[in-house]
Amino acid sequence: MRLNVNGNTHEVDVEEDMPLLWVLRDELGITGPKYGCGIAQCGACTVHVDGMAVRSCQLAVGDVDGEITTIEGLGTPDALHAVQAAWVEHQVAQCGYCQSGQIMAAAAFLDLNDDPSDEEIDRAMSANLCRCGTYPRIREAVKTAAANLRSA
Amino acid sequence: MKTKIFGLIVLLAATATAIAANETSEVTMPAEGSVSVEEGLEAWSRVYEVASHPRCSNCHTGESGIPMWSGPSYGKTRPHGMNISAGESRIGAEFVTCGTCHIKTDRGNTVPHAAPMVNMDWQLAPAEADWFGKSSREICEQLRDPERNGGRTWQELAEHLDHDLILHWAWNPGGGREPAPYSLLEHIDDVLAWGVAGMPCPQG
Repeated sequence: MRLNVNGNTHEVDVEEDMPLLWVLRDELGITGPKYGCGIAQCGACTVHVDGMAVRSCQLAVGDVDGEITTIEGLGTPDALHAVQAAWVEHQVAQCGYCQSGQIMAAAAFLDLNDDPSDEEIDRAMSANLCRCGTYPRIREAVKTAAANLRSA
Repeated sequence: MKTKIFGLIVLLAATATAIAANETSEVTMPAEGSVSVEEGLEAWSRVYEVASHPRCSNCHTGESGIPMWSGPSYGKTRPHGMNISAGESRIGAEFVTCGTCHIKTDRGNTVPHAAPMVNMDWQLAPAEADWFGKSSREICEQLRDPERNGGRTWQELAEHLDHDLILHWAWNPGGGREPAPYSLLEHIDDVLAWGVAGMPCPQG
Protein backbone atom coordinates (compact mmCIF):
# COMPACT_ATOMS: atom_id res chain seq x y z
CA MET A 1 0.00 0.00 0.00
CA ARG A 2 1.31 3.44 -0.92
CA LEU A 3 1.00 6.46 1.35
CA ASN A 4 2.05 10.05 0.89
CA VAL A 5 3.17 11.48 4.20
CA ASN A 6 4.68 14.94 4.51
CA GLY A 7 5.48 14.98 0.81
CA ASN A 8 7.22 11.61 0.80
CA THR A 9 5.86 8.44 -0.69
CA HIS A 10 6.02 5.33 1.48
CA GLU A 11 5.28 1.73 0.62
CA VAL A 12 3.84 -0.09 3.63
CA ASP A 13 2.85 -3.73 4.00
CA VAL A 14 0.04 -3.62 6.53
CA GLU A 15 -3.54 -4.77 6.97
CA GLU A 16 -6.07 -2.36 5.48
CA ASP A 17 -7.88 -1.96 8.79
CA MET A 18 -4.79 -0.89 10.72
CA PRO A 19 -5.37 2.61 12.13
CA LEU A 20 -3.34 5.25 10.34
CA LEU A 21 -1.83 6.24 13.69
CA TRP A 22 -0.28 2.77 14.06
CA VAL A 23 1.14 2.94 10.56
CA LEU A 24 2.65 6.36 11.14
CA ARG A 25 4.19 5.52 14.48
CA ASP A 26 5.11 1.85 14.26
CA GLU A 27 5.75 1.38 10.56
CA LEU A 28 7.11 4.76 9.52
CA GLY A 29 8.60 5.99 12.79
CA ILE A 30 6.67 9.26 12.59
CA THR A 31 5.93 9.74 16.28
CA GLY A 32 4.61 13.31 16.46
CA PRO A 33 0.99 12.11 16.42
CA LYS A 34 0.24 10.58 19.82
CA TYR A 35 -2.03 7.83 21.09
CA GLY A 36 -4.40 9.14 23.72
CA CYS A 37 -7.79 7.46 23.88
CA GLY A 38 -8.09 5.45 20.68
CA ILE A 39 -11.74 6.46 20.16
CA ALA A 40 -11.55 10.05 18.81
CA GLN A 41 -12.36 11.58 22.17
CA CYS A 42 -9.10 13.41 22.89
CA GLY A 43 -7.47 14.65 19.68
CA ALA A 44 -3.85 13.71 20.47
CA CYS A 45 -3.57 11.76 17.22
CA THR A 46 -4.80 14.56 14.94
CA VAL A 47 -3.18 14.77 11.51
CA HIS A 48 -4.30 16.27 8.21
CA VAL A 49 -5.55 14.45 5.15
CA ASP A 50 -5.57 16.88 2.25
CA GLY A 51 -5.50 19.70 4.80
CA MET A 52 -8.50 18.53 6.82
CA ALA A 53 -8.02 17.54 10.44
CA VAL A 54 -8.68 13.89 11.12
CA ARG A 55 -8.25 11.58 14.10
CA SER A 56 -5.66 9.12 12.87
CA CYS A 57 -6.57 6.57 15.56
CA GLN A 58 -9.98 6.21 13.89
CA LEU A 59 -8.95 6.26 10.25
CA ALA A 60 -8.17 2.83 8.84
CA VAL A 61 -5.17 3.10 6.56
CA GLY A 62 -7.18 1.46 3.79
CA ASP A 63 -9.61 4.38 3.89
CA VAL A 64 -6.97 7.09 3.46
CA ASP A 65 -7.71 8.92 0.24
CA GLY A 66 -5.34 11.88 0.24
CA GLU A 67 -1.99 13.28 1.25
CA ILE A 68 -1.19 13.02 4.93
CA THR A 69 0.49 15.79 6.88
CA THR A 70 1.74 15.29 10.43
CA ILE A 71 3.28 17.80 12.78
CA GLU A 72 6.64 16.83 11.27
CA GLY A 73 5.50 18.12 7.89
CA LEU A 74 3.59 21.22 8.97
CA GLY A 75 6.66 23.42 9.20
CA THR A 76 10.41 23.07 9.63
CA PRO A 77 12.63 24.39 12.44
CA ASP A 78 13.81 27.06 10.02
CA ALA A 79 10.39 27.88 8.67
CA LEU A 80 7.78 27.21 11.32
CA HIS A 81 4.12 27.21 10.46
CA ALA A 82 2.41 30.29 11.93
CA VAL A 83 0.69 28.10 14.51
CA GLN A 84 3.96 26.51 15.59
CA ALA A 85 5.61 29.92 15.86
CA ALA A 86 2.75 31.22 17.98
CA TRP A 87 3.00 28.13 20.20
CA VAL A 88 6.66 28.98 20.84
CA GLU A 89 5.89 32.66 21.38
CA HIS A 90 3.23 31.88 23.99
CA GLN A 91 5.12 28.93 25.48
CA VAL A 92 1.92 26.94 25.23
CA ALA A 93 3.18 23.45 25.95
CA GLN A 94 3.51 22.08 29.42
CA CYS A 95 4.03 18.31 29.27
CA GLY A 96 3.54 18.49 25.50
CA TYR A 97 1.78 15.19 24.89
CA CYS A 98 -1.36 16.69 23.35
CA GLN A 99 0.34 19.59 21.62
CA SER A 100 0.96 17.95 18.27
CA GLY A 101 -2.77 17.31 18.00
CA GLN A 102 -3.60 20.78 19.25
CA ILE A 103 -1.37 22.42 16.65
CA MET A 104 -2.69 20.30 13.79
CA ALA A 105 -6.28 21.06 14.83
CA ALA A 106 -5.53 24.79 15.06
CA ALA A 107 -3.79 24.84 11.69
CA ALA A 108 -6.71 23.15 9.95
CA PHE A 109 -9.19 25.46 11.68
CA LEU A 110 -7.31 28.65 10.73
CA ASP A 111 -7.05 27.45 7.17
CA LEU A 112 -10.84 27.87 6.94
CA ASN A 113 -11.21 30.84 9.31
CA ASP A 114 -8.24 33.15 9.80
CA ASP A 115 -10.13 35.71 11.90
CA PRO A 116 -11.90 33.69 14.57
CA SER A 117 -13.62 35.04 17.66
CA ASP A 118 -12.83 33.64 21.09
CA GLU A 119 -16.06 31.64 20.94
CA GLU A 120 -15.14 30.20 17.56
CA ILE A 121 -11.69 29.25 18.84
CA ASP A 122 -13.25 27.50 21.82
CA ARG A 123 -15.66 25.65 19.53
CA ALA A 124 -12.83 24.55 17.28
CA MET A 125 -10.36 23.56 19.97
CA SER A 126 -12.60 21.94 22.60
CA ALA A 127 -12.34 18.54 20.95
CA ASN A 128 -8.63 18.46 21.78
CA LEU A 129 -8.03 17.71 25.43
CA CYS A 130 -5.09 18.97 27.49
CA ARG A 131 -4.69 17.42 30.92
CA CYS A 132 -2.20 20.15 31.86
CA GLY A 133 -4.88 22.75 31.23
CA THR A 134 -2.99 24.91 28.77
CA TYR A 135 -6.26 26.10 27.24
CA PRO A 136 -5.83 29.84 27.95
CA ARG A 137 -2.44 29.82 26.24
CA ILE A 138 -3.81 27.74 23.37
CA ARG A 139 -6.49 30.36 22.78
CA GLU A 140 -3.97 33.22 22.83
CA ALA A 141 -1.61 31.38 20.52
CA VAL A 142 -4.41 30.67 18.05
CA LYS A 143 -5.25 34.38 18.03
CA THR A 144 -1.61 35.31 17.43
CA ALA A 145 -1.29 32.72 14.68
CA ALA A 146 -4.47 34.03 13.04
CA ALA A 147 -3.14 37.60 13.10
CA ASN A 148 0.15 36.49 11.60
CA LEU A 149 -1.58 34.46 8.91
CA ARG A 150 -3.74 37.45 7.98
CA SER A 151 -0.72 39.74 7.68
CA ALA A 152 1.40 37.19 5.85
CA MET B 1 -52.67 0.02 -8.75
CA LYS B 2 -49.44 -1.47 -7.63
CA THR B 3 -46.48 0.54 -8.69
CA LYS B 4 -43.02 -0.54 -7.83
CA ILE B 5 -41.37 2.77 -7.17
CA PHE B 6 -37.81 2.02 -6.40
CA GLY B 7 -35.28 -0.61 -5.59
CA LEU B 8 -34.23 -0.56 -2.02
CA ILE B 9 -30.92 -1.37 -0.48
CA VAL B 10 -32.12 -3.38 2.45
CA LEU B 11 -30.34 -2.85 5.67
CA LEU B 12 -29.52 -6.06 7.42
CA ALA B 13 -30.14 -4.81 10.92
CA ALA B 14 -29.08 -8.07 12.50
CA THR B 15 -25.64 -7.89 10.96
CA ALA B 16 -23.21 -6.45 13.42
CA THR B 17 -20.54 -5.35 11.02
CA ALA B 18 -22.11 -4.50 7.69
CA ILE B 19 -23.70 -1.09 7.27
CA ALA B 20 -25.68 -2.17 4.28
CA ALA B 21 -25.62 -5.16 2.06
CA ASN B 22 -26.22 -4.77 -1.62
CA GLU B 23 -29.34 -6.83 -1.46
CA THR B 24 -32.00 -5.31 -3.60
CA SER B 25 -35.61 -5.53 -2.61
CA GLU B 26 -38.60 -3.61 -3.83
CA VAL B 27 -41.17 -1.57 -2.06
CA THR B 28 -44.71 -1.76 -3.29
CA MET B 29 -46.72 1.42 -3.10
CA PRO B 30 -50.12 0.92 -1.54
CA ALA B 31 -52.97 1.54 -3.96
CA GLU B 32 -54.71 4.88 -3.90
CA GLY B 33 -57.60 4.80 -1.46
CA SER B 34 -56.38 1.59 0.18
CA VAL B 35 -55.29 3.24 3.43
CA SER B 36 -57.84 4.98 5.63
CA VAL B 37 -57.03 8.16 7.53
CA GLU B 38 -57.18 6.16 10.74
CA GLU B 39 -54.68 3.64 9.40
CA GLY B 40 -52.57 6.51 8.10
CA LEU B 41 -52.44 8.02 11.56
CA GLU B 42 -51.40 4.65 12.97
CA ALA B 43 -48.63 4.50 10.38
CA TRP B 44 -47.63 8.03 11.29
CA SER B 45 -47.40 7.15 14.98
CA ARG B 46 -44.80 4.51 14.06
CA VAL B 47 -42.98 7.02 11.82
CA TYR B 48 -42.88 9.35 14.81
CA GLU B 49 -41.43 6.62 17.01
CA VAL B 50 -38.57 6.48 14.52
CA ALA B 51 -38.21 10.24 14.00
CA SER B 52 -38.14 10.92 17.72
CA HIS B 53 -35.75 8.08 18.53
CA PRO B 54 -32.29 9.28 19.58
CA ARG B 55 -30.61 7.60 16.60
CA CYS B 56 -32.55 10.04 14.42
CA SER B 57 -33.39 13.05 16.55
CA ASN B 58 -29.90 13.58 18.00
CA CYS B 59 -28.79 14.92 14.63
CA HIS B 60 -32.14 16.51 13.69
CA THR B 61 -31.55 19.70 15.63
CA GLY B 62 -32.42 23.23 14.60
CA GLU B 63 -30.53 26.41 13.86
CA SER B 64 -28.28 26.00 16.89
CA GLY B 65 -26.34 23.51 14.80
CA ILE B 66 -25.57 21.59 17.97
CA PRO B 67 -26.12 17.83 17.85
CA MET B 68 -27.41 16.11 20.97
CA TRP B 69 -26.37 13.11 22.99
CA SER B 70 -29.41 11.29 24.33
CA GLY B 71 -30.74 7.78 24.63
CA PRO B 72 -30.09 4.66 26.67
CA SER B 73 -26.35 4.43 25.98
CA TYR B 74 -25.68 8.15 26.44
CA GLY B 75 -26.65 8.76 30.06
CA LYS B 76 -28.13 12.16 30.79
CA THR B 77 -29.51 14.06 27.78
CA ARG B 78 -27.06 16.79 26.86
CA PRO B 79 -25.47 18.56 23.91
CA HIS B 80 -22.79 16.66 21.99
CA GLY B 81 -19.61 16.70 24.04
CA MET B 82 -16.49 18.65 23.14
CA ASN B 83 -18.42 21.88 22.62
CA ILE B 84 -19.29 20.68 19.13
CA SER B 85 -21.32 22.79 16.74
CA ALA B 86 -21.93 21.78 13.15
CA GLY B 87 -22.54 25.46 12.34
CA GLU B 88 -24.60 26.82 9.49
CA SER B 89 -22.72 24.51 7.16
CA ARG B 90 -24.23 21.58 9.13
CA ILE B 91 -20.93 19.73 8.56
CA GLY B 92 -18.88 21.66 11.12
CA ALA B 93 -16.80 23.50 8.53
CA GLU B 94 -16.73 26.62 10.73
CA PHE B 95 -15.16 24.82 13.70
CA VAL B 96 -14.37 21.12 13.66
CA THR B 97 -15.74 19.16 10.72
CA CYS B 98 -17.95 16.24 11.71
CA GLY B 99 -15.66 14.16 9.50
CA THR B 100 -12.67 14.84 11.74
CA CYS B 101 -13.96 12.09 14.04
CA HIS B 102 -16.89 10.57 12.09
CA ILE B 103 -14.63 9.01 9.49
CA LYS B 104 -16.02 8.14 6.06
CA THR B 105 -15.78 4.36 5.87
CA ASP B 106 -17.86 1.27 5.31
CA ARG B 107 -16.03 -0.77 7.95
CA GLY B 108 -18.94 -0.60 10.38
CA ASN B 109 -19.13 0.39 14.04
CA THR B 110 -18.07 -1.97 16.80
CA VAL B 111 -16.38 0.14 19.46
CA PRO B 112 -18.53 1.68 22.23
CA HIS B 113 -18.07 5.43 22.67
CA ALA B 114 -16.27 5.85 19.37
CA ALA B 115 -17.69 8.28 16.82
CA PRO B 116 -20.20 6.50 14.54
CA MET B 117 -19.05 6.16 10.95
CA VAL B 118 -20.72 5.51 7.63
CA ASN B 119 -19.55 5.66 4.05
CA MET B 120 -20.68 9.24 3.48
CA ASP B 121 -19.81 12.60 5.01
CA TRP B 122 -21.30 12.87 8.49
CA GLN B 123 -23.56 15.90 8.93
CA LEU B 124 -26.63 17.26 10.65
CA ALA B 125 -30.01 17.13 8.97
CA PRO B 126 -31.16 20.50 7.56
CA ALA B 127 -32.20 23.01 10.21
CA GLU B 128 -35.81 22.96 8.95
CA ALA B 129 -36.01 19.29 9.98
CA ASP B 130 -35.69 20.21 13.64
CA TRP B 131 -37.08 17.16 15.39
CA PHE B 132 -35.31 17.00 18.72
CA GLY B 133 -37.87 17.30 21.51
CA LYS B 134 -40.64 18.16 19.05
CA SER B 135 -44.15 16.69 19.24
CA SER B 136 -45.63 14.19 16.84
CA ARG B 137 -47.82 16.91 15.38
CA GLU B 138 -44.92 19.33 14.88
CA ILE B 139 -42.75 16.79 13.08
CA CYS B 140 -45.70 15.57 10.99
CA GLU B 141 -46.56 19.09 9.87
CA GLN B 142 -42.95 19.80 9.01
CA LEU B 143 -42.63 16.64 6.95
CA ARG B 144 -45.73 17.32 4.87
CA ASP B 145 -44.79 20.96 4.24
CA PRO B 146 -42.80 21.26 0.97
CA GLU B 147 -41.41 24.57 2.24
CA ARG B 148 -39.70 22.72 5.05
CA ASN B 149 -39.15 19.21 3.73
CA GLY B 150 -36.84 19.96 0.83
CA GLY B 151 -39.71 20.38 -1.64
CA ARG B 152 -40.59 16.71 -1.53
CA THR B 153 -43.80 14.82 -2.18
CA TRP B 154 -44.50 11.93 0.18
CA GLN B 155 -43.27 9.56 -2.51
CA GLU B 156 -40.04 11.52 -2.64
CA LEU B 157 -39.79 11.46 1.14
CA ALA B 158 -40.00 7.68 1.02
CA GLU B 159 -37.48 7.51 -1.77
CA HIS B 160 -35.15 9.79 0.14
CA LEU B 161 -34.97 7.13 2.85
CA ASP B 162 -33.42 4.78 0.34
CA HIS B 163 -30.16 6.58 -0.31
CA ASP B 164 -29.04 8.30 2.86
CA LEU B 165 -26.46 6.07 4.52
CA ILE B 166 -26.40 8.05 7.78
CA LEU B 167 -30.09 7.33 8.03
CA HIS B 168 -29.54 3.63 7.32
CA TRP B 169 -27.01 3.60 10.16
CA ALA B 170 -29.84 4.37 12.60
CA TRP B 171 -31.00 0.76 12.33
CA ASN B 172 -27.54 -0.70 12.70
CA PRO B 173 -25.64 1.72 14.90
CA GLY B 174 -23.26 -0.73 16.54
CA GLY B 175 -21.12 0.06 19.55
CA GLY B 176 -23.88 -0.87 21.98
CA ARG B 177 -26.20 1.87 20.78
CA GLU B 178 -29.93 1.19 20.65
CA PRO B 179 -31.15 1.03 17.05
CA ALA B 180 -34.15 2.96 15.80
CA PRO B 181 -37.39 0.95 16.13
CA TYR B 182 -38.87 -1.29 13.42
CA SER B 183 -36.72 -1.60 10.31
CA LEU B 184 -35.84 0.62 7.39
CA LEU B 185 -38.21 -1.34 5.17
CA GLU B 186 -41.07 -1.13 7.68
CA HIS B 187 -40.36 2.58 8.11
CA ILE B 188 -40.60 3.17 4.36
CA ASP B 189 -43.84 1.17 4.25
CA ASP B 190 -45.24 3.35 7.03
CA VAL B 191 -44.24 6.57 5.25
CA LEU B 192 -45.94 5.30 2.09
CA ALA B 193 -49.09 4.29 3.98
CA TRP B 194 -49.18 7.69 5.65
CA GLY B 195 -48.75 9.36 2.28
CA VAL B 196 -51.47 7.38 0.53
CA ALA B 197 -53.81 8.20 3.43
CA GLY B 198 -53.29 11.88 2.68
CA MET B 199 -50.50 12.66 5.16
CA PRO B 200 -52.80 13.01 8.16
CA CYS B 201 -51.29 14.61 11.25
CA PRO B 202 -52.42 14.10 14.84
CA GLN B 203 -54.30 16.98 16.36
CA GLY B 204 -53.34 18.33 19.72
